Amino acid sequence: MFVSWELLKDFIELDISPEEAAERLTLSGTEVESMTRPEGKLKGVVVARIETLEKHPTDGHLFVAHLNSGGGRSHLCVTSARNMKQGDLVFYAGAGSVLPDGTELGMRDFAGVESAGMMLSAAELGLPDVDSPDGLLILPSDAPVGTEATTLYHIGDTLLDVSITPNRGDLLSVVGVARELKGLFPDSTLTLPYWLRPLEQEKAWTEDFGAISLPDKGCLCYRLGLATGAKMGPSPLTARVDLCHLGMRPLVNAVDVTNYVMLTLGQPLHAFDLNTLPAREITVRAAHEGEVMTTLDGKERTLTPQDMLITSGGEAIALAGVMGGQQTGINDDTHTVVVESACFSPVRVGHTSRRLGISSEAAFRFSRTVDPTLSRTALSASLTLMREWCGAEVDYRPLAAENEYPAPQPVTLTKKKLSTYLSWDNMDEATKIIEGFGIRHTSGNGDQRTFLPPTWRPDIAIEEDLIEEVGRFRGYNDAPSRLPGEPAHRADIGAPTRLAAFVRQVLIARGYVEVMTYSFLPEDFPSWLRLAKDDLRAHPLTLANPISRDQTAMRTTLVPGLLMSLKATLASGWRGPVRAFEQGRTFLRESIDSSAHVEIDRVAGLVFNGSDPRTPWKGQEEDFYSVKADVIALIEERGFRPVFVPGHEPFAHAGQTAEVRIALDGGESQRIGWLARLKPALEQEMDVSGPVCLFELDLAPLEEAKRPALHPVSSFPASLRDISLLVANDRGQDAVAADIAAVVREAAQAEGTGTNGEILESLRLFDVYEGKGIPEGFRSMAYSLSYRLPDRTLKDEEVEAIHGRVRESLSQRGYSIR
Amino acid sequence: MNPVAESIKEQIKGVRTAFEEALASASQTEALEEARVRFTGKKGELTSLLRSLGKLSSEERPAVGQELNALRDEMEQKLEARKVQLRDAENERLEAEERIDVTLPPRGRPAGAFHPVFQTLHELVNIMQGLGYSVALGPEKEEEHYNFDCLNMPSWHPARDMQDTFYFPGEGQGGRSLLRTHTSPVQVRSMLKYGAPLRIVCPGKTYRRDNDPTHSPMFHQMEGLMIDKDVSFSVLKGTISEMTSAFFGRPLKNRFRASYFPFTEPSMELDIECVECSGRNPHCRVCKGTGWLEVGGMGMVHPAVIRAGGIDPDVYNGFAFGFGLDRMAMLKYGISDLRLFFDGNVSYFLSGRDA
Repeated sequence: MFVSWELLKDFIELDISPEEAAERLTLSGTEVESMTRPEGKLKGVVVARIETLEKHPTDGHLFVAHLNSGGGRSHLCVTSARNMKQGDLVFYAGAGSVLPDGTELGMRDFAGVESAGMMLSAAELGLPDVDSPDGLLILPSDAPVGTEATTLYHIGDTLLDVSITPNRGDLLSVVGVARELKGLFPDSTLTLPYWLRPLEQEKAWTEDFGAISLPDKGCLCYRLGLATGAKMGPSPLTARVDLCHLGMRPLVNAVDVTNYVMLTLGQPLHAFDLNTLPAREITVRAAHEGEVMTTLDGKERTLTPQDMLITSGGEAIALAGVMGGQQTGINDDTHTVVVESACFSPVRVGHTSRRLGISSEAAFRFSRTVDPTLSRTALSASLTLMREWCGAEVDYRPLAAENEYPAPQPVTLTKKKLSTYLSWDNMDEATKIIEGFGIRHTSGNGDQRTFLPPTWRPDIAIEEDLIEEVGRFRGYNDAPSRLPGEPAHRADIGAPTRLAAFVRQVLIARGYVEVMTYSFLPEDFPSWLRLAKDDLRAHPLTLANPISRDQTAMRTTLVPGLLMSLKATLASGWRGPVRAFEQGRTFLRESIDSSAHVEIDRVAGLVFNGSDPRTPWKGQEEDFYSVKADVIALIEERGFRPVFVPGHEPFAHAGQTAEVRIALDGGESQRIGWLARLKPALEQEMDVSGPVCLFELDLAPLEEAKRPALHPVSSFPASLRDISLLVANDRGQDAVAADIAAVVREAAQAEGTGTNGEILESLRLFDVYEGKGIPEGFRSMAYSLSYRLPDRTLKDEEVEAIHGRVRESLSQRGYSIR
Repeated sequence: MNPVAESIKEQIKGVRTAFEEALASASQTEALEEARVRFTGKKGELTSLLRSLGKLSSEERPAVGQELNALRDEMEQKLEARKVQLRDAENERLEAEERIDVTLPPRGRPAGAFHPVFQTLHELVNIMQGLGYSVALGPEKEEEHYNFDCLNMPSWHPARDMQDTFYFPGEGQGGRSLLRTHTSPVQVRSMLKYGAPLRIVCPGKTYRRDNDPTHSPMFHQMEGLMIDKDVSFSVLKGTISEMTSAFFGRPLKNRFRASYFPFTEPSMELDIECVECSGRNPHCRVCKGTGWLEVGGMGMVHPAVIRAGGIDPDVYNGFAFGFGLDRMAMLKYGISDLRLFFDGNVSYFLSGRDA
């Protein structure tokens, strides 16, 4: 909201600069975001009288004026405007003067006539809304010739752009900011502009008017004032400049009055043309469920009983406190104006404006609470201005109706709480500070004092509110600073956060870049991923009011984010390898048609060789197996044993997908995610030459790390044996290694050796080969086995016996030994 | 002297000379090995001399034997020294041959990179743990009840305008469900769960319907809450200054501005000294020349919120603060466009590395 420094001076005598005021306001809770001088670089523009006016000798579109700018100075000036006449007063920008936008004026030739500068329109003065767009700004007849424009009509005003917090509806007005400044600068004095003096309002209405009835208690009070014989026209120039500065377009004078009073006093007003009212009565009632009304902006609104309507003769003429209807406005022929000054419940107006998405100036103020006692003063002020600006007769007794509204309640300040909160406890000074903000000290002089807030400060309701008045006046920067004592409990980062820190440490060290993508995805991501109808991940929660279609569905998997991350990386021109991971929440319904959901923390990774994977080194290619090492690292570092079994994911390569499980006690295992190469069709759709490898793991099962089982290394020598197997490719590629390992371990059980535990210390695959020397349709898999006991040296014959059993079992299983 | 002894002495002399020559001419390990075999081997010249000791009288034997043994030790030492010398020479040659270009790029994966926002989150969490705060987490899809109502923001409240909210269709017991607009609902959930006294921080994702260079529809906050008896603003001040100083790695000036939040009373906003210019550059692009950076909101917890958390506000009070993690990350890492954080472009985080 803009606050005009010039208008402020109507309400307060302050001996400080706008800069000082702004600083103090900002630190005390009313942030001044910027200060502007709307006249910009305007310089050297003065009032001048058009002494003579002639047609240009050769160009019929132009006029030549002789101007008098006082002190005997006269100027010859050419214009294409047509709205001026001899004797008019205008703003004249002579040679050497500067316009608000910085344009410097000089001599200019118009078809043989040399013009010294120019006469200004409102737009050229930087105030396009003050006057019609074509033609010069004709000044009032009392404009002082020769005077600088910046000193007239508030043109040289300073505007403070203040951001008013929602609890301070009282600051949405010039008078409110003046009162705040009075509190902040105790040496200042509040004053009243002349138009706020009470009006003689003794006459009965000349027009018949029935009752005002307020069946809806949400209308706290409702007053109507009458102005007869009003002449519609422009408002005084200063008022028009003020309205423009404060961000409102000047319209016709009767409407300008209502806006001016709202901006200065904070009371929203509405001006009707009495003759367009459907009936001579007003009723403020709750809307009926489903009732429809067309508001001023031409939109049809469907209402509920939460909304309040102002009706006349049963017809809705305004959505109370929010927006007027279409028919009853002021027009050029209006002569009898009725001014409405009312107050509505902030809760009700807040509901209506939020539900309908209307944030009018009135709704904004009512929903932040307008002082219910203000309606009387504001009505009187608006009528005074109707008389001044529209020449209307206004001394009629207003019509009024009221409901009960809450009166301010006393609030008590205790020395104990003041001192606890602020580490400061001077009650006398605190009292002075609080009183400075218009909050009356009503009783108590010791450690407990009671205050009564004024009607415009409903935000003062509890003791903490009074402490805040003291705190913000004194400022928080000089308060002592200290650390708390020992906590009652030992601080705990908690398993999920600890795990997240661990996971990122492992993956970053392994070459992954940590990314973060949006939690919401394009609505069609399930079909992009080819998720089946019965897959929970195909049924994301969707937002009711997304920003865009691309950010509509809550992610059920981190995969799309990583794929988009890959796309963005490639699009940015990165050609090297891409390794990315993300940790975050996924959102899954409890069941396909349930609105209940669970949030699952996951980590997912993506690895791609790059669009240009060339390197000087061999063996750098990433594939399923290189990524598998990362997955194993994550799991093993948490103390779990990973288990990989052939799996299926709809978006993954049908032959290169593993389910990732962790081994549990008792031979069981638990699925925690998957590892796969992306489906080639998806790689092609994304225009990348694969492979793109991905994994996604649930984090919760890894939260509580298992203590790693550490065994002492045997001090007795190991016996090493190699074994090379011929494996038929038609066995399928699936899980052969796991099968061989299972067969070997089973056969190498230590039974009969007289020792406990396993005699096979390790089984390591060291070669997989297919080609020359190996029969067609087979591959060779070569293993190194290490046999070892913890407590003694194995005898050769023992090793031979065990190894023989291993060979035999493998043969029986159909693996031929080379 | 016995002629046998004479002869042996002569032979010793001859062997010594021959050995010295052989040693000097052995420029390869092979030649050196030959020399070893020739002199000190089982059938070597020195060995056979030792064998011939038997021919000497028992008086002569010790002296000659001693000499021979000394010679064998000397030979072995010289052979060993020569061997090391030759090996070193050979290695020196090989090392020269095996010279590589150490400026070639490395093999294997280079290290990855962290995301500044996550980095900020974990750093702050660690700092706060040091101050006795535990981490509490909550759902990102929240209920109106926890996100607004419990925080003193009933549905009509204009403060809701400050937070444009993403909603989900439908309505449940806790009102409409929505994406949490701040991490503050975790405050209430934690008070209800753990009671007082309490010290927690709640880091996490938050969402608002905003999208421009300084606002992302998804962003991150870290909320802090301390509930205890007779908590003073001074402790909030001390905590905050400890936190910001530890995070930015040097003591920073703080400025508290009075402000308003429905869930704290009194409320303030925190500005920290500009991390870029410390207020010394009137044209600073980070602080716009003001010297101050707005980083968080805070205040003494409103009694209504403490009550909503199931704690008696007549017994306990406390403070709460909220920081934008994205903002903190931008300041620490000198980032100006928030949207770069979330588009997943890996090359952004690897800035400066060769693509």
